[in-house]
Amino acid sequence: MDLPNIFKGNYKLLLIPPVILLIASLIFIPQLQLGVDFRGGTLVTLTLEKNVDAEQLGADLAEEGLEADVRVFETAVGFKAEIEVPQGESLLRAEELKDEFENLLVEATNLELQAGTDPSKTGEYNQKMDELWNTASEMFSIAGVSNKKSDITGVNDVDRLFGDAYKKVYADYEESITDPISRHVDYESISVQTVSPMLSIHFMDTAITVALVAALLSAVFVFLFFRVVVPSIAVIVGATCDIIIALGAMGLFGIPLTLPSFAALLMLVGYSLDTDILLTMRMLKRKGDPRHKAHDAMKTGLTMSMTAIIAFGTLFVLAYMTHIRTYYEISAVALAGLVGDMIATWGINAVMLLWYAEKKGD
Amino acid sequence: MNLLNIFKDKKFMFLLALFALLVTAVFVWDSYSGVFLILALVLFGTFSLMWKEKHLKIAGLVFLVLLALVNIGINGMKFGIDFEGGTRIPIVLEKSVDQNTMDELVQSIKKRVNVLGLTEVKVRSIGSSQINVEIPSGDEDRIRFIEDVLSHQGVYMGVVDGKIGITGENIFSTSIRPLYSDELLRQRADWGISFTIDQEGAEQFADAAYGKADYPVYMYLDRPADAVLFYTRDQLESVMLEDSSEKETIKSLEDALALEGNQSIVVYILDDIDFSNSSVKPKTENTTAIIHEDTPQEYKDLLISGGFSLDEYPEAEILPEFVRTGTGVLVVEKLEAVGMLSAPTLSAGITQGVPSYYYAITGSVQTTDTSQKLKEANDKTKYMESILKGGSLPVSITLGSRTTLPAALGEEFLNLSLIGIAAALIVISIFIGLRYMKIKAILPIIAISMAELAILLSILGSFTIDLAAMAGIIAAIGVGVDAQIVITDELLKKDQHTVKEKTDHAFSIIRTNVIVASLSMLPLLFSNLVEVIGFAISTILGSLLGYLLSRPAYAVIVEKILGIKEDG
Repeated sequence: MDLPNIFKGNYKLLLIPPVILLIASLIFIPQLQLGVDFRGGTLVTLTLEKNVDAEQLGADLAEEGLEADVRVFETAVGFKAEIEVPQGESLLRAEELKDEFENLLVEATNLELQAGTDPSKTGEYNQKMDELWNTASEMFSIAGVSNKKSDITGVNDVDRLFGDAYKKVYADYEESITDPISRHVDYESISVQTVSPMLSIHFMDTAITVALVAALLSAVFVFLFFRVVVPSIAVIVGATCDIIIALGAMGLFGIPLTLPSFAALLMLVGYSLDTDILLTMRMLKRKGDPRHKAHDAMKTGLTMSMTAIIAFGTLFVLAYMTHIRTYYEISAVALAGLVGDMIATWGINAVMLLWYAEKKGD
Repeated sequence: MNLLNIFKDKKFMFLLALFALLVTAVFVWDSYSGVFLILALVLFGTFSLMWKEKHLKIAGLVFLVLLALVNIGINGMKFGIDFEGGTRIPIVLEKSVDQNTMDELVQSIKKRVNVLGLTEVKVRSIGSSQINVEIPSGDEDRIRFIEDVLSHQGVYMGVVDGKIGITGENIFSTSIRPLYSDELLRQRADWGISFTIDQEGAEQFADAAYGKADYPVYMYLDRPADAVLFYTRDQLESVMLEDSSEKETIKSLEDALALEGNQSIVVYILDDIDFSNSSVKPKTENTTAIIHEDTPQEYKDLLISGGFSLDEYPEAEILPEFVRTGTGVLVVEKLEAVGMLSAPTLSAGITQGVPSYYYAITGSVQTTDTSQKLKEANDKTKYMESILKGGSLPVSITLGSRTTLPAALGEEFLNLSLIGIAAALIVISIFIGLRYMKIKAILPIIAISMAELAILLSILGSFTIDLAAMAGIIAAIGVGVDAQIVITDELLKKDQHTVKEKTDHAFSIIRTNVIVASLSMLPLLFSNLVEVIGFAISTILGSLLGYLLSRPAYAVIVEKILGIKEDG
C-alpha cells in the first residue's frame, strides 16, 4: 500500500478540511446533550420479550402523567427499551429541603437544650422550632403526609418525621416512574438508575476537575518534553482540535455526554497526543527533507489510527448488537475522535510543523 | 542458545525464582492476586528494561503471561453484575459526607451484609451521597433480606437495675460526639463519648438511676421482646470467671436480663430441665429460645416440641462476657445474642435523682503502646457511638429501587464481548498483513496482543470486569498494536541508522506516548467515578504493560522474524 505524499506542493491548502470541520463542530457543539449522569433524572432500561411501539408507549405514559423519552431497540438478545425521565420537581425540592433542615436541626437542638435549663431561651427556641417545623411541613406536603405540630414534643420528633417523609418522597418518585411502566409494558427485567440532583452535581464537579487536571498535566508534559515553543503549541493545538471535533460529532449524532463518553474523551486526549508526538519527534529529531519525514510519519500514524479505529469499530458493532450504552458511548466518541484526529494531526499539526521547519531551514 | 545453558544463566534463574514466588503468592493470598499481578508487571518489566539480553526480555513476558494464566486458572475471573447477572441496590444518603465518613459507611454496610456470610456482595461508593450494593443473585428472598438488613434502624435502650433508664428516642442524635482530648484528660479517661437528652429522657433517667451509684447501665440494641436464654452447663462453664461460682454467674446474668413490666429474659441450664414434666414453657406462641448453634440436637428437638421457636447464634455472640467491677460485683459486660452490647457503670454524681441533660460515657483501655492505645480508644468510641445511634449508620439512608439483571442476558453480553475481542484481533491482523504485505509481520503482533490480553484479563478479573473495563480491554487491543507498528516502521526504514538506534528511537516515541496516555487518564483513575474507573485502569495498564514488557519482547521477535540485519 503506497500512500501519496500529500505534503508535496502547497501544503498549506491542507488546512482547509480541518478548518471546515472545526467550524462545523463549533456549530454542533451547542447541541451536545448531557446524559442522566450529568443532568440528573432517571433512566429505566427494560428487556422485553416482544417489540413495543415506542411512540405508543410514550403516549400511554404521558397519559398517566409521566413525561418520558422512550426508545426501543432490537438487539441480538431480544428487545430493549430505554425510558428517560427528567429530574422530578418534587425530588429536587426535597433535596434542597434536606440541606435546609440539616442546618436548622443543629441550631434547634442546641436551643432546646439551653431552654431546658435557661427559661429565657424559650422564646428563641420556639421561634427556631417554628422555622424547623415550616421546613418540615413543606417536606410533609410533598410526601403527602399530614403531621400535627401539637403532637410534637421536641426536635427529635420532628427529625424522625422528616426522615420518614423524605424516604416516602424518594420511594414515591421511583414508584411514579415504575408503576405506569409496569402497567403498560410486559418486561423481563427492569433496571432503574436514578441520578439525584446532588449526585449529578457531584459528577459534573468531578468531571470538570478531572478534565482540567488531565489537560494541565498533558500540556505541562508536552512543554517539558519538547522544550521548543512552536512544536509544543502545535501538539496541543492538534489535541484541542481533536476534542472539539469529537464534541461536535457528539452534538451532531446525539451522543450524550455521560461518564463513559467523558472517559472516552479523556482517552482521546492521550490518543491524539500520541500521533502528534510521533509526528513531532520524527520531524524534530531526524535529519532529512521535512516533507519526506512528515509523509513517513503519516504512514505510521495512519496505520496506528486504523488499528484503533478497527478496535473501536468492533466495540461499536457490539454496542449496536447489544445496545449496551457504555459500549456505545465509548466507541462512538472514540471513532469520531479518531477520525477527527487523523484530520487534525495531518491537516493542522503537520502543516504548522512543516512551516516551522522550512522557515528555520531557510 | 542451548536450552540447558539457560539454566546456568543467573539472571534467568532469578526471573524463574521470582515467577515461582509470585505463583505461590497468587495461590496463597488469593484475594490480593490482582495486586500481585500488577507488582509482577512492574518487576518483570523493570528487569526486562534493565537487562539487555534478548532472551531475558522474552522470558519476562512469558513468565508474566504464565502467571496471568495460572491466576485465572486458580482464582478465576470476577465479573460485574452486567455480565454475571445479579441485583444492584442503590443506597441514597440523606446528606453528602466526606471521604472518611464514606469509608466508614461502606465498611459498616459491608459488615452488615456480611453477617449473612454473603462475601460476594460488593459495596462501593458513588460520589459523596450514594452507595451501591451489588449482589450476584436474583433470588427474591435473599434480596428482600438484604434490603431489610440495610434499612433496619435499631432501637437503643439503657437499663438500670431492671428499669428503663434511657431510650434512643430521647437522645438528640446530632449531639452524640466523641469527647475532646482536654475533656478526656479532665475525666482521666482514654476514650469517651458525650450526648444530650431531652427533658422526658432526663426525668426518666434521674428516676431510674436514683441511688444506683456503681450499678451498670446495660446498653441494649434491639433487645428481643419475648425470649428465653438456654445454655448447657458446659457452655456456661467455659466462660465463667475463675473466682466465680455457677450461682453467682447465673445471678449476674439474671440482673443483666431483668426488665420491668414482666419483660425479663429468663436463663435456664438445659442439663437441669426435666422436659417430661417441665415448668419451662414459652410465654406466648412467639417466644423464641435463644441458644448456641452447637447445642446438641436432642435439646433443640426438645425445645421445639416444647413450643419454642429456635434462634441459634454462633459462640462469639451467645456466650456472655463477664467482668468483676471495682466494687467486687460480677457483671455481664456483653451478650450479643440478646443485643446487650456494653455495660458502663453509673458514676455517683448522676445518681442523686436530679435530672440532667448532658451525659458522657468514658472508659480506659489496657494497652500501654501509644499507637495501639489510640486505635483501641478510637474503636471503642466508634462502637459506643453506633450503639447510641441505634446501631445506625453515621448518616440516615434511603434505599433506591433495585435493578435486577438476568444472568442469561449477562452471559450473552459476555459471550458477545469475547467474540468482539476475537473479531478485533482478526480484523487487525488482516489489516497489518495488508499494510506490510508480509504474513510474517502478523504473527508477532498477534502473539503479543494475545499475551497482553491474557495479562489484562487476569489483572482486571482479579478485581471486577464491568462494562467499562471490558470496553477498555477491547480498546487496549487496538491501541496496544500501535506501539508495535511504530517499532516495525522504524526497523523497516532503509537509512543509515543501526538497528539499535532504530529501536532506541522507536522506544523513545513509545515511552513518550505511554506517559501522555497515562497522564491524561490518571486523574480519572483517582476521581472516584467508579462507573468508569475500569476503563481508566485497563487503558493505563494496557500502555504500561506495552512499554515495560511486550514492546521490548516484540522488538526482539520482529528483528528475528523479519530478518532485519545490521547493514550499517
